[in-house]
Amino acid sequence: MNPKIAPAADPEAVEKSRLQRLEIDRAARWPVGIFIGSSLVWLILGSVLAIAASIKLHDPAFLAENAWLTFGRVRPAHLNIVAYGWLSTAGIGIGLWILSRLCRAPIRDNRSLTLAAVLWNMGNAVGTWGILRGDSTAVEWLEYPTYAAPFLLVSFAFVMLESVGLIRRRPPGHIYISQWYIMAAFFWFPSLYFTAHGLLVLAPVQAPAQPPINWWFAHNALGLWFTPIGLGAAYYLIPKIIGRPIHSYYLSIIGFWSLAFFYAWNGMHHLIGGPFPAWLITASVVASVMMFIPVITVAINHHFTMVGHFKKTIYSPTLRFVVFGAMCYTLASFQGSTMAIRPLNSITHFTHYTIAHAHLGAYGFATMVFFGSIYYIMPRLLEREWPSRFLIRVHFWSCAVGFIGYFVFLSWGGVLQGLEMNKDTTPFLEIVANTMPYLKLRTVSGSLMTLGHLAFVTSFCWMVIRHRASSGEPTLFTNRVPDPDPIP
Amino acid sequence: MLVASVVILIVMLLGSVGALFAFSWAATHHQFENLEEAAESIFDADEPIGTPTDTYITHES
Repeated sequence: MNPKIAPAADPEAVEKSRLQRLEIDRAARWPVGIFIGSSLVWLILGSVLAIAASIKLHDPAFLAENAWLTFGRVRPAHLNIVAYGWLSTAGIGIGLWILSRLCRAPIRDNRSLTLAAVLWNMGNAVGTWGILRGDSTAVEWLEYPTYAAPFLLVSFAFVMLESVGLIRRRPPGHIYISQWYIMAAFFWFPSLYFTAHGLLVLAPVQAPAQPPINWWFAHNALGLWFTPIGLGAAYYLIPKIIGRPIHSYYLSIIGFWSLAFFYAWNGMHHLIGGPFPAWLITASVVASVMMFIPVITVAINHHFTMVGHFKKTIYSPTLRFVVFGAMCYTLASFQGSTMAIRPLNSITHFTHYTIAHAHLGAYGFATMVFFGSIYYIMPRLLEREWPSRFLIRVHFWSCAVGFIGYFVFLSWGGVLQGLEMNKDTTPFLEIVANTMPYLKLRTVSGSLMTLGHLAFVTSFCWMVIRHRASSGEPTLFTNRVPDPDPIP
Repeated sequence: MLVASVVILIVMLLGSVGALFAFSWAATHHQFENLEEAAESIFDADEPIGTPTDTYITHES
């Protein structure tokens, strides 16, 4: 009989797998803990800079006296901090932990990974300092100056080495879909970052070739770095939490390979209407619409895995965050495909609608899935529960309500802005003035999201420093523990 | 410009050859067979199918 299905039959196997899991989690405690812990510092810093940049859009005099805090520096600092400081740092930690769990192999080289975490954070610190002092490269998504890149490069080499080691030490048999996603991401990101950095900053190619390389990189950073880590986490956590295998493994394979083979073509849709060869952009529009295939496979899979288990989101913090994120993934991807279609793009291009879309992917999807993953990972690393369900509730509702507000207000304002800009009768300054209410509402929504982040960080610090014994109660959203579901 | 072309060419070749290699490896190493077993590979004897693991305490105790 399969021990996975009838555990009670063999107490020895149960104990063996429990001890192996404990060993894996204990080996991951320091390196993964440092990656995740430091990512939260960047999350807060990124949020503060985001609010500053947001206020400046409706109140340009705000913090305008100090050159370090002008919009042209604060805004790219926010973007790079949340991309490389928060999402990438947390993503590396989450990716390593899931890889280690799925490879049934403990992380072996703690010291090199801890060094990697330190170097990664140094790279972010140096890069942020560089942007704020005026050394930005002015290439969107790659603003960190060249002197930050070696830290990131060396750090990532250690991460890649360890992840290859984990895969090599796995037991024979299937490589689960999350392992495919995460391993692929660990190879895609450095090749993207350092190719683009080399061709745009170190030895810049001729000017007309720069925007395609820029958007090849920037779009792939979302789709081939944050997306695979987020999907890998969702494909592991959703079935693991509800105790039911994914609906269709077959679909997950189609989803992964169609993303792997066709995603890289997407970036050129950022250049629609620009002075570039039409075939280049058309090919990208086609690839963008083709993204319906991987997205639909993921959406079907996550939805049908969850069917019958949605009530668990009432209790389980991890599940609620991850399911919220998975739904945003579907929305963001569908929206992204439609935005690449020329008639729609002619309205939304150069408007706040694009900013809302970027946040739907990077925040609604990736950040929320990462929050959920951290809620699952940390208790297992520290062997204690989260200290306060109140703080988790504040975290979820502030972020969810704040984010939905952010998305709705900016999308709405963006479409109106786009329609007005396409009419040649409205003066430009009037259009700018018309976006004001939406920009102010964005500041309010962003502040609400930041409040949620503060609750999360408070919760995290409290959990780390608390040494007293746990109350023995699980930290769920409500007191009522869910009835166990019948085995499907 | 020559350097850039060489870099782009190398990245393109490595990327596509790597992806094709990974795909053919997966196909020849039974990654596309026994899909039910693959889907169940995340469960263990002590965290079997049918056991929710949403909190640390309920699971551990």
